Amino acid sequence: MTPETAVVQALNGISFGALLFILAAGLSLIFGMMDVVNLAHGAFYMLGAYIALTIVQRTGQFWLALVLAPLLIGALGLVIEPLLLRRLRGRHLDQVLLTIGVSLVIADLIGLTWGREIRSIPFPAGLDHAITIVGGDYPVYRLFVIAFGAALAVVLAVVHRRTRVGALIRAGVDDAPMLAALGVDIDRLFAITFAVGAALAGLAGVIAAPVFGIYPGMDVDYLIYSLVVVVVGGLGTLSGAVAGSALIGPVDTFGKVLFPQFALALIFAVMALVLLMRPTGLLGRIRIAR
Amino acid sequence: MLLPFTKVYAELGNSMQRATKLYLKQKGDALANRPVTVIYEDEANDPVVGAQKTQKFIDSDRVDLMMGIVATPIAYAVRNAIDAAKLIFIETNAGGNALTRTTTDCKPSCKSKYIFRSSFSSYQISYPIGEYFATQKGVKEVFTFVADYGFGNESAADFTSGFTKGGGKITGSLKAPLGSADFLPFVTQLKGQQTKDIYSFFSGTDAINYIKAWTQLGMTASGYKMNGAGFLTEQDVLKEVGDQANGATTSLFWAVTLDNAENKAFVDAYQKEYSLLPDVFAVQAWDGMQAVDLALQAVKGDTSNKDAFIAALENVKFKSPRGDFEFDKETHNPIQDIYIREVKVQSGQAVNTIVGKVARVTDPGK
Repeated sequence: MTPETAVVQALNGISFGALLFILAAGLSLIFGMMDVVNLAHGAFYMLGAYIALTIVQRTGQFWLALVLAPLLIGALGLVIEPLLLRRLRGRHLDQVLLTIGVSLVIADLIGLTWGREIRSIPFPAGLDHAITIVGGDYPVYRLFVIAFGAALAVVLAVVHRRTRVGALIRAGVDDAPMLAALGVDIDRLFAITFAVGAALAGLAGVIAAPVFGIYPGMDVDYLIYSLVVVVVGGLGTLSGAVAGSALIGPVDTFGKVLFPQFALALIFAVMALVLLMRPTGLLGRIRIAR
Repeated sequence: MLLPFTKVYAELGNSMQRATKLYLKQKGDALANRPVTVIYEDEANDPVVGAQKTQKFIDSDRVDLMMGIVATPIAYAVRNAIDAAKLIFIETNAGGNALTRTTTDCKPSCKSKYIFRSSFSSYQISYPIGEYFATQKGVKEVFTFVADYGFGNESAADFTSGFTKGGGKITGSLKAPLGSADFLPFVTQLKGQQTKDIYSFFSGTDAINYIKAWTQLGMTASGYKMNGAGFLTEQDVLKEVGDQANGATTSLFWAVTLDNAENKAFVDAYQKEYSLLPDVFAVQAWDGMQAVDLALQAVKGDTSNKDAFIAALENVKFKSPRGDFEFDKETHNPIQDIYIREVKVQSGQAVNTIVGKVARVTDPGK
């Protein structure tokens, strides 16, 4: 591999990692706050991509899709949490089963509504060209994904550390019952958390749609990636999602081109290795069982 | 019929079902004066499910004939059960070479007296274009880049043997895991090497992602040429990538633009019924139905004598939308013309245009 190619591959890896971060941030947020492993996360991601498909087909506006699709999926999350998840609060296994059910229903409804053909949307105008980096062309859209992922990480970090909502989230992650005892409306906080997590999955779906295609089965493919990222990075922390995606994106990219025969196993090998050395993940904290 | 109606190949199953229904509708739901009932089952792209449903056809439905199956691993998984039950089966898609070949210890699969194939073997869509490139097109060097699974590897190997036999040289190869999310890393590697002609096997979402990554890195402008087995630029892909596949050269036994009376009639009837263009999967199912229809006529609708029915199938010859169709009596794989096609943009639409033909290609059978 020439140095130029290596640089370009590193960019590829980082941009894939940035996308994984957008996807995994929501999963991590929901887990950290609510102690729910939301296996419908992949379905929300898929739904985001399909809603983007319709919006782009109707209006040609990618940017509209980028705003509208996460809002719609957030609204869906706002319905699902009180209607379904709340009834099972504290029953972890039942909650996991429920989210699998939700994901199957969403995937089938998508099949009925949009059909089961493979689809794709064009790159948004202005980001559909390439620029010259280290003597070769590099697609601008990938740089946009990196920038977007980084900006989102900063925004989430600021919200997390500097705002009242962030303080509530941090408190909720530490001890939700105590937070409720202090008079915080925990039901509302959980519903909003779930909605924001779902919206982030939808956002990732929109961002990924021009690059990775839109097809039945994409929900499962990316659910697995996002689970690997949060487990490697450390469950339930924002910095963990950053660390996990920063590691898994490049590992996956370099692994595929350098050791194609092990490509699929490689990220799981990394996950196993990380868990052996740090059972809580790279930046995970020890959680006290409640 | 055993077809995928869920999971990633659902649309292929739908397409074959549409062609089958259209054929029967045209014949008034009767073949050789015998009413025909079709039971559709979902193989869900899973060998275990495929095996269960095949057993259901054998034990409880007691069907006279089975058709379908999209993915090669499923076809391989049910091969022995079909052979043991003496169930006549027409494979309408899966192209794994071993299904119609003599292999050592029947691994991973092997031909059966009871198994016919109305689609293709991967040899047929890969070897001829290799030879054609070396001898007709004057290509000297090719780099291969295929999906890393049975079918992609078979395609690369068959292309390589055809191309090197014609005097060409393979300068290197690269493989992408099936269903790779991100194709940019692979195309980056392609661009990092010198050979301009790339031979690929990808289909569906992989093909779309590959072509888009190809465009993003400006491969065509840098002088690279995309080539491959026909599924790389079939309609499901072209309608999503449009002119981005412009100039890609692929080989297949059919194209929607193929100029013959049967194809025109087929495309028109299909479009009229469903308001959409047929794809190659529809043609495969359609020809499976034609073969069954003609064989049934030859035995006057009597399927009780299996050997007579098999002999009748071996002897069918007809004009298909793809051209002349007959089964190779040795292998039960079709003998068919392979077309070399180039993607061109005509009145704003990307289509496969025929630029060459390799006549009467049959699988070597071993």
